[in-house]
Amino acid sequence: MTVMTSPEGTVAGPDLERLWKTRRDRDRFQWSSLALMTPAFGLLIILFLIPMGYAVYLGLTNLTLVGPDSVKWGFTGLQNLSRLRQDSTFWTSLWVTGGFIGGSIVGVLVAGYWLASLLMRARPWMRIVVGGVVVVSWMMPAVTAGMTWYASTTQGGALGTLIGMRNTNFLDSWPLVIVTLANIWSMTGFSMLVIGAALRNIPSEAIEAAMVENASAWQRFRSIVLPLLRPTMIAVVLLTALLSLANFGLIYIMTQGGPGNATNILPLYSYQQAFSFNNLAYGALIGNVMVLLATVFGVLYVRVAAPRS
Amino acid sequence: MTPANKETRRTVLLSTATHLALGAFGIVFIVPMLWLILASIDAHASWGLEWPHFSFINFRHVLTGSLLHSLWNSVVLSVVSTAIASITGVFAAYALSRRRIPFKTPLLMFILFSSGVPLAIMIIPVYEMFSRYNLLTILPTALFLSVTSLPFEVYLMKNFIDAVPKDLEEAARIEGASTFQVLRKVVVPLAMPGIAAASIFGFVNSWGSLVVPLILINATNQQPAPIAIYTFLTVPKPEYGNIAAYSLIFCVPVFILYSVSSRLFREGFVLGGGVKG
Repeated sequence: MTVMTSPEGTVAGPDLERLWKTRRDRDRFQWSSLALMTPAFGLLIILFLIPMGYAVYLGLTNLTLVGPDSVKWGFTGLQNLSRLRQDSTFWTSLWVTGGFIGGSIVGVLVAGYWLASLLMRARPWMRIVVGGVVVVSWMMPAVTAGMTWYASTTQGGALGTLIGMRNTNFLDSWPLVIVTLANIWSMTGFSMLVIGAALRNIPSEAIEAAMVENASAWQRFRSIVLPLLRPTMIAVVLLTALLSLANFGLIYIMTQGGPGNATNILPLYSYQQAFSFNNLAYGALIGNVMVLLATVFGVLYVRVAAPRS
Repeated sequence: MTPANKETRRTVLLSTATHLALGAFGIVFIVPMLWLILASIDAHASWGLEWPHFSFINFRHVLTGSLLHSLWNSVVLSVVSTAIASITGVFAAYALSRRRIPFKTPLLMFILFSSGVPLAIMIIPVYEMFSRYNLLTILPTALFLSVTSLPFEVYLMKNFIDAVPKDLEEAARIEGASTFQVLRKVVVPLAMPGIAAASIFGFVNSWGSLVVPLILINATNQQPAPIAIYTFLTVPKPEYGNIAAYSLIFCVPVFILYSVSSRLFREGFVLGGGVKG
């Protein structure tokens, strides 16, 4: 890895030069390392990288789930792509995905920060009760969260009963809003914990110094807290985006993408095309769009989260 | 009014506002859970929120027959996938932590990247691959689920192994221990909290997975609990109390495991250990 240059002034013959280049104070590559890495990386290659490449190819074919094209299928070039361009459901789905992820990011970040900063000033019992409730809602598996949100927002559910609108079916009337709220509900615990840990790391001297200088609460937030929290906030934003994209089980239980296509985010639309409408190839293509989207967030996440060396 | 008095009044006001806001948050977060709790102990439950006709009959109903079998399938699916991910993962994590490996940085980047990207979106090509070789059963599905949690597990375990002091390992080496012995006797015991935390992550990930087994498992008698919950909803007149009781039972292992792992994580661990807040 490291190329050593001989110090100026030394006359280095070919032998000496080789000696310079092979360093003795570092571990050398051992073949057993390969044996250690092969199982894990082999699995990742077979069930992640190869499927990813295969999906790119599948997206350009006419493979179907059943019928003649499920047996005899082949490459159809850019046919699926032009279909995608004209598919209004796809564009709706893209917007719905954007709304779902955008709404979730704002909600998770605001609620997480707010809760974390309130809990720091709260009495211990309050911290345990409220913090506990929020963390439990985060731990709940998506299937159960979806189930209980469905029950609470459907006609005659808890929400309607409590605010005196028993006959309103909230889930039917504002589907995207409700599933986004459910997603925020199930992710806030995570951002609350992460932001809370970062808040506790802010040196209290900095805040005290600002208070001596008569800085207002808003000034303290803008000039001290926010800059120090920035890396954490960015990581929370990117992880919320990625986890929301992965949390389609929640929507699947609540609405299965409906009513109409009101909550049909890309992963669900991809499955719908593949397994309900039998268009495996077209579903794979929509999946590829999603991979592209996730890759953007993923690369940004790596840039933020990778340890600086 | 003296300044000190004014200061106390401000503090009291601020504290009251804080607690009121927190109370509001608590109520908002608990409302969606109310139905789950009340309906599970209500013999005549509906979607509505009502005072329960208290009984445990729902719990007794759902812990029989195919519903119980689905829970067992969930256990098999999650245990197998966690075992695969944790065992293969710990070897890779050790190599990435200790050994000199060409292209180590890009490899680590790849691990971190794939720990963020939801790998379950590979399901269509994986379905096509599995169906060609008649692999649409529970064990291959466990294998795929293990891959979806593998990157994060490797990343987590690598961070914990990094923290294990090298001296003990070198001492074992001098005594003539093989790599496998070093791993088994020194590294694994010392990095156990990290390995446990990673395994819990893997288990919870597989346990809660709905769409992957729904698509990758063909046989009805191999399907895990999330699909049973989903199927509850597809009948015209669902058994509300049973749904709630079963969903609640389904949560219990997750709650227990998360409580264990939060203890393991108390060492100021934030976001994969990579983010310095």
